[in-house]
Formats: sequence, structure tokens, C-alpha cells
Amino acid sequence: MTDPRRSLRIGMVCPYSFDVPGGVQNHVLGLARYLRQAGHRPYVLAPGELGPSAAALDLEDFASVGAAMPVPYNGSVARVNFGPLSAARVRRWLRNGKFDLIHIHEPITPSISLLALWAAEQPVVATFHIATPRSRSMQLAGGVLRAAIEKIDAGIAVSESARNVVVQHLGRDAVVIPNGIRFDDFGKRPISGSPRPSQQPRLVFIGRLDEPRKGLEVLLAAVPLIRQTHPNLEVIIAGQGSRPLPSWCRSLGTITNEAKIALLGSADVFVAPQLARESFGIVLLEAMASGAQIVASDLPSFVDLLGPPRDERRLGEVFPVGDHRALARAVLQVLHYANPLRKARAQQAARSYDWSSVGTAVLATYRAALSAAPTGRMREAIG
Amino acid sequence: MSTLEMLALMIIVVVLLVWRISWLASRVQRATTRAERAWITLDAALVGRAQRAADLVMLPGIDPATALLVLDAAAAALEPDLCRGERERAESDLSHVLDTVDPMLPASPSELASERARASICRRLHNDAVATALSLRRRYTVRILRLAGHTDEPRPFEMADGSICTLTAGPPDSPPSSLAYAQPSMQPSRELLQSAKPPTVIVRAAEN
Repeated sequence: MTDPRRSLRIGMVCPYSFDVPGGVQNHVLGLARYLRQAGHRPYVLAPGELGPSAAALDLEDFASVGAAMPVPYNGSVARVNFGPLSAARVRRWLRNGKFDLIHIHEPITPSISLLALWAAEQPVVATFHIATPRSRSMQLAGGVLRAAIEKIDAGIAVSESARNVVVQHLGRDAVVIPNGIRFDDFGKRPISGSPRPSQQPRLVFIGRLDEPRKGLEVLLAAVPLIRQTHPNLEVIIAGQGSRPLPSWCRSLGTITNEAKIALLGSADVFVAPQLARESFGIVLLEAMASGAQIVASDLPSFVDLLGPPRDERRLGEVFPVGDHRALARAVLQVLHYANPLRKARAQQAARSYDWSSVGTAVLATYRAALSAAPTGRMREAIG
Repeated sequence: MSTLEMLALMIIVVVLLVWRISWLASRVQRATTRAERAWITLDAALVGRAQRAADLVMLPGIDPATALLVLDAAAAALEPDLCRGERERAESDLSHVLDTVDPMLPASPSELASERARASICRRLHNDAVATALSLRRRYTVRILRLAGHTDEPRPFEMADGSICTLTAGPPDSPPSSLAYAQPSMQPSRELLQSAKPPTVIVRAAEN
């Protein structure tokens, strides 16, 4: 068994480029930062260059597999790498890194993650982020992928719904460890009272503007109904992409992490109207940590975070997916009855997702995977 | 087609077949090895959990009835020479006892919480490894050619984890807590272990 005190060299593979912000990328960066603080050596392989959002990562610990190509995959456009050149780079990185363990994110995507899983001779931990892949293509590729899936020594799913996908489509199981947040960045605001002295209630949405599944349409349809009661409602939208917006709506475009912290800190209501396929609501958690009131669609992962709709102890309001009238009602309700107790509970709940807890759970999984993984020579025989 | 060509074709087919079968055999062997090693890991985690549970006895302010209840369940789980079914029952009972006494304890020690979470993680990984090994071993080719050799079929370990949160899974190297009972706690667990004789697998685990 491995010495539990030994510092680990961990090779992390992220299939998406750090040029653009994204849930998986943020998770990889947050985990890398936590691991370094815990005395381990994380190295990251990803496409593209390190953007300004990835400042937490040392340049020497980062390796690029080159520019990513945009391809349509799983209902949206993924920027990923594949082909023999990428495969050779992945193999070289794995060989030269002398890693104790490889941590692959989204292993079953046509990207460097799958290439790394295929080539890895070290123990492999894999994190599944997606909630629903296309089951047809999974089944068709099943025979080819099965041997690769077998190489995973420990699977991690970011939510129970992500775990269900792993169980049903891959025939494997996974430990559920949610995504982490840096609670101290967000939890600075005192929970009592309104964040700003102004009488204008502020409603905030964060998410891509041009991706229908983020549900901005539902929010925009609901706002006129809310403005009948609150004519001075301020609506602020932040996210990539462009589209025509009504005049009462302010769009900030892509924002930095600092701007996001400030924006969430100033929000009275945070709305998450997503329509589908949201494996984990990390922005929702960040909004909860910031002390904003939450209104979200009733996607399974959101209900997991907030609690069922009629529960006394729920941490926010949920409404049926796509129902703009119900969204408007929920927003009006939280604006009328500000509930400081619920805010405090939500903040407390968000604190348990801090990297200090999430990271130790990931490390415990690393240790378990290391002691269960077949030894090096046996892996090479498969390679 | 000449005889030579026929022969060459047959050799190619045989080589491909042998390559495919040996590849499958190595997958079976790897899956079986992982299941075996995952069991060693789970066994160690369960022993660690029972030891930490027994440590509750040293908690300042714990009443003797609760202490006896916990110690009895922990000792039952640490009993050597239990068969699989007995062990599963003893570990489940320990989970239930820990769940029941938790709200009544004067303090909830974080070491026990992290050991419980670690055991739950190890159990899920173990049962996952077992399922992978079984699905390979039940394949037609594997059974007909006996690619699994004479190794025993791995079995999942079924028990109640109790109400735990994996997020409390502190690794064994997490800094020792400043709780008052943390220091003297080594005493009862060592005695318990000596009286209960640790399962031999622990020794193997340390060597690996």
C-alpha cells in the first residue's frame, strides 16, 4: 500500500481549453490549486493556451496539446483535440511526467481525455461531469470503449445524476464528489439586510447568451411580469455570446472571476433558468455563498442542491423547467418575503462545498485508487 | 489459391486469434487483481472505522451505556475469522449503531466521520471493481478457455454505510484534530486489535 504521507505527482487531463471559461476548466484549476496547497504536485494537460482565468496555474506545470478544433458533439460545439499528433503528444506527456496517478476529466469524450485513458499505464482516476450523453452512440461505441473504460481504477461523479449515467451507460460505478467552490471569495457579505442601499432590486443571470439550454429566453419572458409589480427591477446578464436584448436588460458580456464575485455579491435574486443537461450548478452554489436569494428551474441537479419545492428547509425557490409564469411568481415571492434565515442556511450549505472538504474527498479517492490499482508491470502488459 | 497462400492466411488468422485472446486474458487478470487489491483496501478501511468507533469510549462525558453499545458493535466487526456474511452483518450493525448514537454524543469526532467516509468510498470502488471483473469473467470466451485461471470469483461486499457524507473524507494524512480525546485514543484501539488479532490481509496490504 502507498505511504499515506507521500507527496503525489498527479497528471490531470482536461479536454477543454483554458482559453474559454467553463465548468470543467474551473474545476480542474480549483483542484490543482487545492492539491498544491495540500503538498502535492499537480500537472495539467489541456488544449490551447493558459488564459487569464487560469492564473492560478504555474506555466511550467501546464502542457498544451496544441490548438483545439471546434466540432459538434453532444448537442453543442465542443473544442477538442484528436488524431495521431495529439495522441503522440499525450503519450509523451504521460511518459515524461513520472506521475503516480492520472486524473482524467470527462474520460469518455472524443478528446485528449480518451487518448490519455487509452495510453495511461499509471493508476487512473476519472471524473464524470456530464449529466446525459447520447446513449445511442455510447451503445454503438460500447465494444470499442469497453476496454478503455475498464482501465479506470476509481470513478468520480459530480452529482447523483452524473453517477446514474455512469452506472447505466458505462456499467461502472462512481463515488459522488461535487464540484468545489472557493467559499471565502464569495462569503464575505454579511447576510442581514439588503446588499445595496438603493431601492432597485437587482436580478442576476450568468450563462451563455447564445445557448438555448441556458434558458435565458424563459427569464426574458418572465421579467415583464415581474416588472408589473417592480417597475424599477434591474436585470443584469453576464456571459459569452451575443443576441438582441430588451432595453431594460444590461449585458456585461464575458466577465472575469473578480467581476463575477462582485456581481453575485450585489445580487438580490439569482436566477438559474436552465432547460436541460446541467450536471452541476456551480454558479448556483457561488450565488448561495454570496448570500443572494436563489430561483432555479427544477432540474434534478438543482433540486439536489436546493431541496424539494415544498420543503420547509429548502434553500431557494424552484419552478417547473421552461415555465416563465412560475419563474415570475417565484421571483416575486423571494422579493416580497426576504428570508434572512434561509439565506444563512444556504450560505452554510454552500460552505460545505468549499475546496477544503471537496479536495480531501478527492484525495481520499486518490489513496483508495492507488492502493487498489494493479501494479505497473501488469498495466504495461495491456498497453 | 495455392497451398502456400492458404497456409499463410491460416497463420495470420491464428496469430490474430491468439493476440486477441491473450489481450482478453490480460484484461481479465487486471480486473481480477484490481478486485483483490480493492478488497485489501476496503478491509483495512473497515478495520480503521471499527477502531475509531471503539475510540469513542474514551470520549470525555460519554455515558457507559452508549460506550458499551458502541464497543460491542466495534468488537463484533473486528472479530477475526468471520465469514463474509457475518462480516457484512457486523459492519452493517456497526453503521446502524453509529448512526443511532451520533446525535447523543457529547462531541462528534471528525476522525470517525472521515474513517466512515473512507470506508464508504473504498466499498463503492471495491464493488465497482468486482462488477467489472465479473462481467469479464462471465464472457463466453473467458469461460470456455478458462482465461480466469483458478482464481476465486470476486464477490461484492454488501453492507449499510449508514448516513455519511463523502465530503468528510479526510485522507489518513489530514492533520490530527485538536480534540481532547485524540491523544489517549491509541490505547483502546491497540488493545482491541491485539485481542482481536488483525486479519492477515492487513499485513499483506502493508507490504504492497
